[in-house]
Amino acid sequence: MLSIGRRPVVDVALQGAGISIVDHVDRAKVLQRLRLGDAVFRHLTRGAALVVLVILGGIIVSLVWGSLPALRTFGVSFLYEEVWNPVTEKFGAIAPIYGTIVTSLIAMLIAVPVGLFIAMFLTELCPMWLRRPIGIAIELLAGIPSIIYGIWGLFVFAPFLQQYVQPFLIAVFGEVPVLSVLFAGPPYGIGVFTAGLILAIMVLPFITSISRDVFEAVPPVLKEAAYGLGCTTWEVARYVVLPYTRVGVIGGVMLGLGRALGETMAVTFVIGNAHRISGSLLAPGTTISATIANEFTEAVGDLYTSALIALGLILFVITFIVLAIARLMLMRLNARVGA
Amino acid sequence: MNSSFASPLYAKRRRRNVITMALSYAATGFGLTWLVVILAVLLWEGFSGLSLAVFTEMTPPPGSAGGLLNPIAGSLVMTVIAVLVGTPLGMLAGTYMAEYGRYDKLTMVVRFINDILLSAPSIVIGLFIYEIMVAQMGHFSGWAGAVSLAVIVVPVVVRTTEDMLILVPDTLREAAASIGLPRSLMIRRIAYRAARAGLVTGVLLAVARISGETAPLLFTALNNQFWSLNLNAPVSSLPVVIFQFALSPYKDWQKLAWTGALIITMAVLALSIVARILAAQRKTS
Amino acid sequence: MSVATLTVPTVVHAPGNAEDLTEKISIRDLDFYYGDHRALKSVTVPLYQGKVTAFIGPSGCGKSTLLRILNRMYDLYPNQRATGHVRLDNDDILSTSQDLNLLRAKVGMVFQKPTPFPMTIFENIAFGIRLYERLPRAELEDRVKQALERAALWEEVKDKLGANGLSLSGGQQQRLCIARTVAVRPEVILFDEPCSALDPISTAKIEELIDELKDDYTIAIVTHNMQQAARVSDFTAFMYLGELVEFGETTKIFTTPNDRRTQDYITGRFG
Repeated sequence: MLSIGRRPVVDVALQGAGISIVDHVDRAKVLQRLRLGDAVFRHLTRGAALVVLVILGGIIVSLVWGSLPALRTFGVSFLYEEVWNPVTEKFGAIAPIYGTIVTSLIAMLIAVPVGLFIAMFLTELCPMWLRRPIGIAIELLAGIPSIIYGIWGLFVFAPFLQQYVQPFLIAVFGEVPVLSVLFAGPPYGIGVFTAGLILAIMVLPFITSISRDVFEAVPPVLKEAAYGLGCTTWEVARYVVLPYTRVGVIGGVMLGLGRALGETMAVTFVIGNAHRISGSLLAPGTTISATIANEFTEAVGDLYTSALIALGLILFVITFIVLAIARLMLMRLNARVGA
Repeated sequence: MNSSFASPLYAKRRRRNVITMALSYAATGFGLTWLVVILAVLLWEGFSGLSLAVFTEMTPPPGSAGGLLNPIAGSLVMTVIAVLVGTPLGMLAGTYMAEYGRYDKLTMVVRFINDILLSAPSIVIGLFIYEIMVAQMGHFSGWAGAVSLAVIVVPVVVRTTEDMLILVPDTLREAAASIGLPRSLMIRRIAYRAARAGLVTGVLLAVARISGETAPLLFTALNNQFWSLNLNAPVSSLPVVIFQFALSPYKDWQKLAWTGALIITMAVLALSIVARILAAQRKTS
Repeated sequence: MSVATLTVPTVVHAPGNAEDLTEKISIRDLDFYYGDHRALKSVTVPLYQGKVTAFIGPSGCGKSTLLRILNRMYDLYPNQRATGHVRLDNDDILSTSQDLNLLRAKVGMVFQKPTPFPMTIFENIAFGIRLYERLPRAELEDRVKQALERAALWEEVKDKLGANGLSLSGGQQQRLCIARTVAVRPEVILFDEPCSALDPISTAKIEELIDELKDDYTIAIVTHNMQQAARVSDFTAFMYLGELVEFGETTKIFTTPNDRRTQDYITGRFG
């Protein structure tokens, strides 16, 4: 008989169920006694589920409460003023907001096509024995904590960009009308563009794995029908797979965007922390999360702290909307598949 | 339909196919290259600073040698507390969603909210805990740091618990019900048992996730130069120390930052590997 | 039909047979709804004590639905409800004050797909026993052995009681589930297509088992295999589209059925 120590597993498994009938079997009584514990457990689980809602509510309430002083002082102008002066206590959020949006945009512009192509590679072209290793590699990339990206970005990537890539970009686009402004010097190394690139590498594994999962869910008969007509691999991907998985891919992209918007550590190291909007992408800037990370512990004065919390509120609202849309799209996808 | 393989249309289609296929190879190489580069640099820089002293000495003032003992200890303590607090909460919530309330409205709402919390910016979580704990208590503390990590653990555990329990086939539940097993006992003795590997995987994933979290600790646990396990005061943690040391202009601090980064990455990797092994075992059983 | 006309037990003299039959479970005017869809229509049928009653009929006729009402299994799911009268001895099964766990201890069920618990063979059986009784070691082992013998599984597993239940073959797993069910000492056992996932040899073993079990239990079996129904049961109920079309002694149903539809089904005109 299987035992743990000197007691059979069965005893161990059922101990604590509160049964202690001595001689006569009276099933009704046993079940009666178990009923209380049963109800307690049920209420405990329900309560725990409610706690999740409470956490969200708590976040919203505390952010709003903390931002009130700043919002009351600056009103709507908080959203579009550029000045950020702790000394004169004048704060405007447009620079961080701009930085957040632009870095995330750069990240998505790079990560989405690359991610989709990698997903296509994994599902159509990759030999079977390579699929798992590469899949694991993608997960590894996703699992590296963001602070690692941060210091790598600061010590390796930014200097590399500064020495080789940025002068190249400045030279190449020097004469081109719009792009010469976007890629104007000097080559700082750190800046909005660098932050965007690092974010792209961070978001890439998310887009890739979600896209791969959705691509794999396409019924083989559908693809076979297209191949049977003589379609090339690209045409099958473009005209069959992508339309079929469109909702899931968009959901995955929104999820990646949500991550990029809220990312703190990777960006803080390389963005340069300058509270201004520059024309050039190569110039330093700031994002909401980088601002909060850098300045919160040094913030003196209630208005300063409140302004930072207000920034956090804005970030939360933006990511909440993006993530809610992502969830809704993925829910629609599941409904269609019948999951 | 023209079936001649020499037709210009077909050539164009073939060309396009070759280009896009080449692009996908390139994209994959691109992605893998970054992984290799990052890991290589991490190993190079971090490994050279790795020594026994790192694990036995405290963080030094700039200019002298030292280690990472207090941040490692602080991180361990806060992580353990976060898991102890967040896991039961998350499991119970996930149990409700998969068992008692599988089809009801509350579960739909909680699932929606939970998935948003899952990807919410962790710096916002830090602000939240700052408001309700640090501001109320009047000082930074290790408890606040642990709680903010717990808030990150909960959605991960909720999600994996619900997913794993839903995978347990209904026939098993019916079989348990058919001998008169009360609901809660069925869940605890049968369903949890059947989903055990998946549930443990969920916890491991949550731990891996919070191991590298810096932002929520920045203004909850703050940092502490000295050895302190007093959770009622600022506590040192590995990510925050890396943050501080890396941004400093001191070479030996920067070196320690790399080493700390290597330690975190190795820990996260180890946890992921164990989780993966468990998941594979589950598939074969 | 008003409650006043319900008398329990109902003793029926089957035509041409002096045997006394006691109605263990009486079902009167049973309706069942999945949401708005009426799956069972005014079903009235008796389950006699100590006898095997088979429910046959084409897919979707409601036979499994009917079985799952008898132990209130449908309660686990939303949007499913039953109306009418179903009594176990003197007990109204459908009443909201019915203790479901107690009911299920009295009315056991063996499912189509073998479902051993994720535990050892010994624990699978002992689990149910220990739920209700606290027994000393020796007695517990005895009870487990009895249950396994009853299920004709003891000889095959007596040397590996510590092995995982899932390591057994399909037929053995199903017999393990039967052992688990009888270990709890129910009064009625419901079999929901117990052999449909098994090979012919395991099927034969289980049919033999059912024949032995009926001495101590009241048995209802749902099957889509008519020959099995003919082999195994004393009484047969033919259902079609949610209605009970005909009920009677098995030999009569299969040789001279009253209803045209029964005749057509049995001769394979549809099915």
